[in-house]
Formats: sequence, structure tokens, C-alpha cells
Amino acid sequence: MEQADPARDERRRAAFAAYVVPELDVLMRVAISLTRHSQDAEDLVQDTLVRAYRALDRFDGAYPRAWLLTIMRNAEINRGRRRRPVLLEDPDTPDRLVQEQPSAGLGNPEELVTGDQFDEVVVACLDDLPPRYRRVVELVDIDGLSYAEAAGLLDIPVGTVMSRLHRARSRIRDRLTAAGLAPRRKA
Amino acid sequence: MKRWLERRMMGGLDCVQVLAVLQRYLDAEVDDLTARKVRAHLERCRRCGMEHSVYLEIKHSLSRRSPTVEPEALARLRAVATHVSEHGPQGDSLGG
Repeated sequence: MEQADPARDERRRAAFAAYVVPELDVLMRVAISLTRHSQDAEDLVQDTLVRAYRALDRFDGAYPRAWLLTIMRNAEINRGRRRRPVLLEDPDTPDRLVQEQPSAGLGNPEELVTGDQFDEVVVACLDDLPPRYRRVVELVDIDGLSYAEAAGLLDIPVGTVMSRLHRARSRIRDRLTAAGLAPRRKA
Repeated sequence: MKRWLERRMMGGLDCVQVLAVLQRYLDAEVDDLTARKVRAHLERCRRCGMEHSVYLEIKHSLSRRSPTVEPEALARLRAVATHVSEHGPQGDSLGG
């Protein structure tokens, strides 16, 4: 049991307001990506808030988002022990992300053809990606995390984030080319 | 010689160099100097400019998938944050 210390409590309140509260929106978005369920996401963010408060005295103030995402990762793994541990299912084994053959395409446009059909192909391809590729795309392109933040959350090297992201986008691009919505890749 | 001329004409980077950093450029993960050089190249090189446009549009399309965080959920989380910061992590009293 901690002894009462008003000055310490005030420091914690100020640090919580400065480092944690501004990240609530991002934490919720990432939690939705991780859990795919809004109520689970809210529970995960609540767990993260409690853990962050307990760890506040040991936080040096640098990169609060990365610090919070690491806490969220640990909270999710802990919650995962009671169900499916999503973040532990990330073996760095050779990928089987087979490249599609753009030659099977409907056309060979010179320009981009954007619009609803473009978005539909992108979404369909995202949903078809293997989970560890899809997760990186969701964290960086949808939730807006940096490579380092996504790497910290997934506990994988930044280089692995980059390679998965680039392969996933390349796959999406090939699907767009096959659908006649993007020009063929330059040699 | 050809690549040297190409670099000189295209902001200091040739097409191979630009394609090698294009994804990181899209994600604002390159330094300012590299970003300026890539930008200068993209303005002058139609083929690299098209590559950039394709991946930029993919990125925009994905960002439109960003989940909407319900204002009510955010308000509940702010209330939890306030509770935790003022009373400590009395987890059982946070409700749900």
C-alpha cells in the first residue's frame, strides 16, 4: 500500500494528462485493428490506461505513443491468454505471399482509374492478405502508425514491418493492374 | 554516364534510387533532404510519377477505411482516464 503523497499524485495526474490522454483516439483505433471488435477494443484501452498509470513513475517522457503501444501489446497478450493470443501469432517464417500475375488482367490502362471500383478492389485484396501482412497495413496505412510504432507493437524489427508493408502494397497494386485500374508496373 | 546525367537532371536521384525509397517516402519515413530529392525527381519523371500516384492512391484508399471511433466510446475512455488519474487504478470500480 502506497503512503499518501500529494506532490507525487499531482505529478502523476499531470503526466497522465500530458502523455496518455492525447493518445486515446489512436489507442482506440489500434485496439479496434487488433481486436476487430469495438467492445473488446474499449476494454483493451481501459486495461492499457490502468497499466500506464501503474508504470507512469518509470516513464521518462520520451515517445509516449510508442510506450503506450508497448503497454497495449502486453495487455493484449495477457488478455489473449484467456482467448486467442493474436499478437503471439506472428512467426517470422518465410512468407507465402504469392504474387499475382498482372498478365491475367482485363486491360492495360496508361493512367490510374480511381473511384468506387478502385476502393472495392483494394478492400477485397486487403481482406485476402495473410493476417500478418494485413495487420501491418492496417496499423500503418489505416491507423497511421510510424514503422517504429508498428514494429514496437508487433515486437518485430522495423525492417520486417517495411518488407511486409511493401509486399502487401505490391500485391494490392498487382490486383489493381489485373482489374484494369492501374498501369502495369514499370520495369 | 547515362545514370549520372539522369541523376543530374532529376533532382540528384535516378529512377532506381527513387523506386528504392518510394514506399518510405510515401510514409514520410525518409529525411528531409531525401524527400526533397525524391519530390524533385517525381516532378520531372513521368514513369516514377505514375508509380508514386498508384501507391499514393492505394494509401489514400486504405486510409478511408480508418475505423470511426464512436464519440460515446471516446467519452467513456476519457472518463476512465480521469478516474484513473485522480483516484489511481482502482480497477474493480471502473465498471464496463
